Amino acid sequence: MTDRSRALAGVVVVAMLAALVWTAAPSSEAQSGAQTGAPRIPRMPDGKPNFTGLWQYIGTANWDIQDHAAAPGPFHQLGAIGAIPAGQGIVEGNEIPYTPAALAKKKENNAKRWELDPEVKCFMPGVPRATYMPFPLQIVQGNRTIGIAYEYATANRVINLVTHQKSQVDSWMGTSNGSWQGDTLVVDVTGFNDLTWFDRAGNHHSEALHVVERYTFRNADVIDYEATIEDPKVFTRPWTIRLPLYRRLEPNAQLLEFKCVEFTEELIYGHLKRK
Amino acid sequence: MRTAIALLVASLVAASALAQAPRGFTAPTTPWGDPDLQGTWTSDDYIGVPLQRNPQYGNRLYFTDQEIAENEKRRQAQAQNDAQEFAGADARITTGPGAGLVDRGRRPPRQTSLIVDPPDGRMPALTADAMTRRQGIGAGNPNPNPASWEDFSYYIRCITRGVAGSILPVIYGNGQQIVQAPGYVMILQEMVHEARVIPLGNRPHAGAAIRSYMGDARGRWEGNTLVVETTNFLHARTGIGLNGGGTPTSDALTLTERFTRVEPNVIQYELAVDDPKTFARPWKIAFPLTQEPGYQNFEYACHEGNYGMHNQLSAARAEEKK
Repeated sequence: MTDRSRALAGVVVVAMLAALVWTAAPSSEAQSGAQTGAPRIPRMPDGKPNFTGLWQYIGTANWDIQDHAAAPGPFHQLGAIGAIPAGQGIVEGNEIPYTPAALAKKKENNAKRWELDPEVKCFMPGVPRATYMPFPLQIVQGNRTIGIAYEYATANRVINLVTHQKSQVDSWMGTSNGSWQGDTLVVDVTGFNDLTWFDRAGNHHSEALHVVERYTFRNADVIDYEATIEDPKVFTRPWTIRLPLYRRLEPNAQLLEFKCVEFTEELIYGHLKRK
Repeated sequence: MRTAIALLVASLVAASALAQAPRGFTAPTTPWGDPDLQGTWTSDDYIGVPLQRNPQYGNRLYFTDQEIAENEKRRQAQAQNDAQEFAGADARITTGPGAGLVDRGRRPPRQTSLIVDPPDGRMPALTADAMTRRQGIGAGNPNPNPASWEDFSYYIRCITRGVAGSILPVIYGNGQQIVQAPGYVMILQEMVHEARVIPLGNRPHAGAAIRSYMGDARGRWEGNTLVVETTNFLHARTGIGLNGGGTPTSDALTLTERFTRVEPNVIQYELAVDDPKTFARPWKIAFPLTQEPGYQNFEYACHEGNYGMHNQLSAARAEEKK
């Protein structure tokens, strides 16, 4: 073996080791893209951040995206299990700029939330709520599309990176088009219906909802998630939510199945059952 | 005898051709080096091909050229009817739902059945235990007077069609959108909005107590072929039939799927069914998935809009009051 070929062989071995480490992603020792000081984050072959992995928010935003104190749950039989934990909101400034009519509707929703929250019926959660439900979500990032599978209700969506689509029909999960601003994935979501809520507290929107999400790595195991919410029929100005998504680090962590339809049939159709 | 041998040879050649790319076709790869299956695929071309072969065809998997030409003539006549259906005074009434309601194949199917093994294209015998399970239906209403939602299939209840039922060709909603990442493949199936997440590599399956309708999938590449092995199924839910109908399979079920891109716009799909508690022997289904210009998945909010369930139960209760 000549010096040159030995050097070459060394390069090959290093490259193979690098490939191994890289193949082992998602994990915290994933490939570094940046040279100096910047956090080491997993990257795609073209250098874009690679968000592929199992992620989950920790917090109580699904109960109420605004600050809230602890409160009893709807069924005394469940005792502490059914109670609502206190939580710090995810809304910037903690204020949701409702129009007066929309605020009245929110209060009405809140009063009837155990009946009206679409989550009760296992309906798809919409965006951004899907992100902070108390279930993991799996991101599968390709070079043309990014798929997100949410454990809750098998809800899912595809983000178009290359061929952006106009929403052709209103839907629960919207139409998502993605683009890159530096290391931030920006997802523009439109084409919603008016049937989803932001949380169990009755925060709502119309079919004019427009959500712009931003996914940015804080480090290899945390995504800073931000969503700007615009809906001129319901809000007087755009407003923003922010939360961290944590990588699930258990070595065997994976998305499981939560097909909740069958947990709701007695509730939805029970009155139509043969007595 | 000579004819029999010739037929046997022909069918063997045909069977091996099932999963082999034509010469000169190089399957594209992703930027990270995996075979590239990304895109939206549909089994529309095989709509109407029966799961089990009509015995008149015996062991013959493929139609003859003449039969294919006849199928194509029928397909074109249907397309003509579809085009006229809402066109005005000369509109013709077609048999079955119109093209506004259903999808149509774009080419005539080549196979006499979706089952390719056993050679007679028939489902193997059921075990005694399987025969005691309630025979499932896919779509439709088995009971004109349902007592509850449990009288309907998991599909009609908008829960799931199972792995096989989510890809076997039916009248509409056959879209399979494949998203790939380094280390993962995801298959998003339009109808009942399934999202199968398939980790690649040697990860062990989830614990035996973690059972589900869609099972626990693991994938690997064998050359250009994506091989997906799925286990951990719930016992006696959906079957290996259209929309998840047929005899419900058991908790011993292993499904092994093979996806091979054999032409720029064709994936050859194969599904091997192994369930010793249900079938006397393993068996296989195969058919092509194609990529079509302008074809895309839409959101299929099944449960959210399941007024059909409400109305059928409500009608049954009203009938009882008469």
